[in-house]
Amino acid sequence: MKDTINDKSADTCLPGGLISADQWTLPQTSVRRSLKDAIQYALSQLQAGVSQAEDPFESMDDLPELSGIQKKRLAPEPDYGRQAEAIASGVQQARSEGSLSREVVCLVAPPFSGLQQSLARFEELAEPGLLDGSGEKWRIIGPPDTLSFSAKEACDWWDEQDLSTPWVITELADFWLRSLSGLVLVKELFRRIAIGETGAGILGCSSWCWRYWGQYLENAQMSPWTPAPMDAERLGVWFTYLASGKGRSEIVARMTGDGLYVLPLAEKDKTKSNKKRKYSSFLRDLAATSRGNPGVALAIWQRSLRAKPDDEAKLDEADEKTEKQSRAADCWVVPLGKLSLPSMPQSKESVTGFILHGLLLHNGLDMSSLELVTGVSTYELSLVLSRLKRAELAACDETDGRWQVTAIGYPTVRRHLQGWGFPLDQF
Amino acid sequence: MIDDLGIKSAFASITSQALLKALLVIIIASLVIVAVQKVLPRVAEKLGGKPRLYLLASVPLLRLLIIFATITVVVPILVEPSFENMVAIFGALALALGFAFKDYANSLIAGIVTLYEMPYRPGDWIEVDGQYGVVRAINTRAAEIVTPDDTVVIIPHNKLWNSLIANGNDGTDNLMCTADFYLEANHDVSQVRDLLRDVAFTSPRTKTWQPVLVIVFNKPWGMHYRVKAYPFDPKEQFQFVSELTARGSAELARQNVKFVSVPVVAD
Repeated sequence: MKDTINDKSADTCLPGGLISADQWTLPQTSVRRSLKDAIQYALSQLQAGVSQAEDPFESMDDLPELSGIQKKRLAPEPDYGRQAEAIASGVQQARSEGSLSREVVCLVAPPFSGLQQSLARFEELAEPGLLDGSGEKWRIIGPPDTLSFSAKEACDWWDEQDLSTPWVITELADFWLRSLSGLVLVKELFRRIAIGETGAGILGCSSWCWRYWGQYLENAQMSPWTPAPMDAERLGVWFTYLASGKGRSEIVARMTGDGLYVLPLAEKDKTKSNKKRKYSSFLRDLAATSRGNPGVALAIWQRSLRAKPDDEAKLDEADEKTEKQSRAADCWVVPLGKLSLPSMPQSKESVTGFILHGLLLHNGLDMSSLELVTGVSTYELSLVLSRLKRAELAACDETDGRWQVTAIGYPTVRRHLQGWGFPLDQF
Repeated sequence: MIDDLGIKSAFASITSQALLKALLVIIIASLVIVAVQKVLPRVAEKLGGKPRLYLLASVPLLRLLIIFATITVVVPILVEPSFENMVAIFGALALALGFAFKDYANSLIAGIVTLYEMPYRPGDWIEVDGQYGVVRAINTRAAEIVTPDDTVVIIPHNKLWNSLIANGNDGTDNLMCTADFYLEANHDVSQVRDLLRDVAFTSPRTKTWQPVLVIVFNKPWGMHYRVKAYPFDPKEQFQFVSELTARGSAELARQNVKFVSVPVVAD
């Protein structure tokens, strides 16, 4: 693990720990895989509109998917409380090593990386004063109800917030709208941070929002930190940690087609009897497909798990020589090539791009805010959003009416925005 | 004369069978060219950004390659490909073209130079002799551009020799757009500059990683502001400028900054 500064303390729940955003690198994959992805994407672009598939997600195998309980056991959602502790210890370590000296720590991560949820647990940290040494509890600053402010109103709003005691903003994207009066609140916050008017704090921000503000405030040098990208090894460690939970034994996952091992990881599995085992490149491909994003990788991982292989005979053949060494798998994994991830509905207009870009910039928006930032009418918005929902690229939270890009659709959305020339994030 | 050039002897060996064969090759090549010219732009339309530009730019190049390949195949079918025969045929062809189709040959040669120097490619936004539009096709003799008013303008390639050709995006998807604002004097210039910069930054069409500039000129009648920014797609330029103008004007009006207006002068 070459790129981490505080890697020694890397927790299994945050493999790789925190790194400076400049050190972030895209997980590598094989040339064959990259070419295959590029061709598949080009074909899906050309075929879009030709195929009228109703079901956006289609698995090209006949194996039964895992039940809800099995999925919860084998690929559960992460424990954000533990992640919060890992982030706090990562920041603390960077501070003690002298690589992080600012009072305000900017943590930037791509959507679905779980940063926002982890920062939201900072109030519950067992050792609250660990990072600033004051012993005071962290206080979460939430966004105001409305985001349209004049410069004076924004000033007044920040005056009302107590920034002298340790504070946490879980997601900066919730504090602004891409409209003339929607920029003021964040501008004022950055001004205060720049002149040192705030005390110790943690500023969490999605990578898309950060990129925008980095371009808007050309001269701001905030030196953000980010969770290390999930390469194959880290993904393996993380999936194992998620599945093994509290004291359960390590899981065994094997490919459905050829029986190659996915988990446990090769390096972890060095017992003599297991030396002849063959391992799949699934995790490497998954790391590249998800661009090292844990939330996206987990969503694909959950989709790829199966209860049993399609042809056990094949497995027997593949493992004939090492039959005695083979362990019964807890679950089976469908190759990435056999999983069709959501594809983008064809459109000659750029409206779809405006909407998806708006959603990513603001970490999700309701209809009225989306109309304000994109300039697309409510009528057209509802048409496009319903198409995106059917394609499993966007979903609406029923409780607050907020639309968001889905984790499983994120790679497709990012690629679409890249193809159309929209500004992208760093990750 | 024809005898002197050796043309007669070069064509003496042509049989009807060879003629049919050559005709067949030419027909197949023509069909392939038509297919390339129809299919690739359609495929390009489905793609966004750079892949679209690259695919469009490959059309004239492919056509040239097919034409060269066809000539290479057809000539040996018709005549024995000896050095003397080749010199005779191409010499005669050049002479005929030189006399009869001087301008046409001029455009053909300029067309080949166009493919090499690439002053414009399909998908580029260019202005030649006051005509602005997107290059739709680069044909053998002329380029076709489509103006914003959906009019096709044919521009012979020989314009290359003696006209100024302005290319807005030059084979990339970066095309700078400018929105002008003419304002009365006596306002806070720095506030208006900030406001107009925000107008550009809050447009969903802006490429925020490219520079967003607000230039101001002091004129005898007031202040002239120019907002310069890049839309994410050159095709969006008119929508982009309209949006900047509309939103900028609305916000300036809200801030009580007045526009200058020139009285209409009747003839």
